[in-house]
Amino acid sequence: MTQLSRRDFLKAGGVLAANALLPKHITSLTPTGGKYPNIILILWDAFSARHLSLYGYPRLTTPNIDSFAARSIVFHNHYSGGNFTTTGTASMLTGMNAWKHRAINYGGLVKNEFAQINPYTLLGSDYYRFAFSQNPWPDRLMGQYDKDIDRFIPPSAYSLAKKNSPAQNFKRDRALATIALDDFLLPVQSDSSVTGSALLGYLNKSETLNANEQKISYRGGTPEIMDPGYLIPYLNENVYKGMYSELSQLAARQTPYFAYLHLYSPHFPYRPRNDYRQLFRGDGYNPVSKPVNPFSGGVQEDYITTQRDLYDRQIAQIDDEFGNLILGLEESGALDNSYLIFTSDHGELFERGFVGHGFQLMYEDVLRVPLIIHAPAQTKRKDVFTPCGNIDILPTILSIAGKKIPAAIDGKILPEFGGQEDENRAIFSVAAMDNSAFAPIKKAAIAMRKRAYKLIAYIGYDLKQNFELYHLENDPDELNDLTEKETKIFSEMKDELLSNLDEANRAFAK
Amino acid sequence: MNKIGIRFFTEKSLTRHDVLGAYAVIVLLVYSWTLITSFYKFPSWMFYLTLGQIGAIYAYAFSINFIESIVTLAGVSFLEFTLFLFLKNKEEILPRSILAALILLGTAMWRLVLFQDYVDSAAFVSGELKWWLLTFAVGAPAVIFAAKIKWIKKILEGLADRALVFLYIYLPLTALAIVVVIIRNIN
Repeated sequence: MTQLSRRDFLKAGGVLAANALLPKHITSLTPTGGKYPNIILILWDAFSARHLSLYGYPRLTTPNIDSFAARSIVFHNHYSGGNFTTTGTASMLTGMNAWKHRAINYGGLVKNEFAQINPYTLLGSDYYRFAFSQNPWPDRLMGQYDKDIDRFIPPSAYSLAKKNSPAQNFKRDRALATIALDDFLLPVQSDSSVTGSALLGYLNKSETLNANEQKISYRGGTPEIMDPGYLIPYLNENVYKGMYSELSQLAARQTPYFAYLHLYSPHFPYRPRNDYRQLFRGDGYNPVSKPVNPFSGGVQEDYITTQRDLYDRQIAQIDDEFGNLILGLEESGALDNSYLIFTSDHGELFERGFVGHGFQLMYEDVLRVPLIIHAPAQTKRKDVFTPCGNIDILPTILSIAGKKIPAAIDGKILPEFGGQEDENRAIFSVAAMDNSAFAPIKKAAIAMRKRAYKLIAYIGYDLKQNFELYHLENDPDELNDLTEKETKIFSEMKDELLSNLDEANRAFAK
Repeated sequence: MNKIGIRFFTEKSLTRHDVLGAYAVIVLLVYSWTLITSFYKFPSWMFYLTLGQIGAIYAYAFSINFIESIVTLAGVSFLEFTLFLFLKNKEEILPRSILAALILLGTAMWRLVLFQDYVDSAAFVSGELKWWLLTFAVGAPAVIFAAKIKWIKKILEGLADRALVFLYIYLPLTALAIVVVIIRNIN
């Protein structure tokens, strides 16, 4: 892959953006000529839509993505089904709300009866199917249907790790093998308990930590690392080069392909390369101050600011890698007849005394994720403002491939791909990690987006206030709770949310 | 046959009683550690895994434990034929092997308990060589001399006798576990 400097790429991006202004029409968004289109789904872990300049963030974090968006469909109100990887990714891969697919716990799995509802199984053998997740949790989710994946590379592929996890040897039982070996018997780190295997666990931990502690010769600074638990050090440039190589090989095949790349950055810990370390320093950006949430740890504001800056720099670096990847793929023709989907599994919060994601915080920064889809030969930008969820991605993929959409899927085909814009549709995001996956949900934080409103419900928690209501168009920072002012809207949304939960619980209680 | 070879066969041939006794204690330690640590994980597993899936995790665990116990036994035996090669008293082989296994596994377990979190990584690595050197410096003479003390010897032999019952429990379970793992991984 040709290496471009940041400046060169920005120039190229400018040319592409200018191209997009030409009055061209998007080519058909449905399969034509009887040949299945290729589908590439690239997911950046923990990528908050509110930190992309594309979506109005005051810092120019994503010039390359912005340029790419100029010839893509940009979804402005796209929500993840959960606020951490397992739930968010499972919602996307199953097209179901979390209270149905039940991957609601950290590192959890999709309910067995729905495990076969996923892009790999449903696209079938008409497609060559490729999977790669740097994050071991989605790797585990896909391990539930590994037999339907033609090429499934391990999380440590293209990393600096010298060996793969021992669980990767159990290719036909990947999901449970990773829980048994990576989480329990041979974890390098475990914050909740000690290694389950005394001798082999110790040896594995010692070998991995000693390898990681060795100073890796890397001019760019400190390698990124998947942390905590797995400790796989990696360099984004290697990972993106690897993805370029994989996609180029896929493009060379005669059969159409589906590729899902779940890339770990910009997930915590944020370790931008040295050449990004000065970016945004002293730029005067001062986000609005927000009240500390009862569920947050009450992290100090200066720490939040430091982490936010690192996160934004990490995003800028990812954007650069993304730019190089796309440019390389386009030049090689690897993207001909390919749909490209870019999104995330959840966002990241730097507010209200909290840094990161998960727990019960359900604000925009952690739920609203980017969704940018480029259709083959598309040259003009389209914007979709209707709220949609990542449960819509699977039915859209199936629609693109001309496949049947199973009735169990909650998601709808996205607008611009044959789906109808529905202003009255409610989009749900669920954080129910305090519940058993096998019991009705009694304790959860649930967000519901409908029209311009967003309701957050804290079900089963002993709080002064169990609901928050915001008007996101007037109050995008979610500062003015309207539960007492907009009582009618509040009451309607609350009833709708609770009735949906009741219905999900009732079906489950059977 | 040279002098060392003669010693090997006359003084170092491990009896079935020695091997089984030492192995029983190793099995007791290795499997019990896994079972105890699994209790910390069990509540979270119950949250998102079926009982069948939890059973499969134990199948992996027992399979790994089996490998681990064999590796430990091999390590202890290796000591007997290297470091302890010139120790003559055959009656001390069993208590010495048990003590060596206790020190080896005990040190690993202790360090795993001490350095659990990510923040402990640097400390784990930087102190590792010192820990093991100290363990070796103190442990090797302790193993040699403690095995000569009658009451310690008696306790260790008693432990080995009592631990034998665990072989009857764990080894059949392990055989079943290996079958489960194989079946789950057949194409």
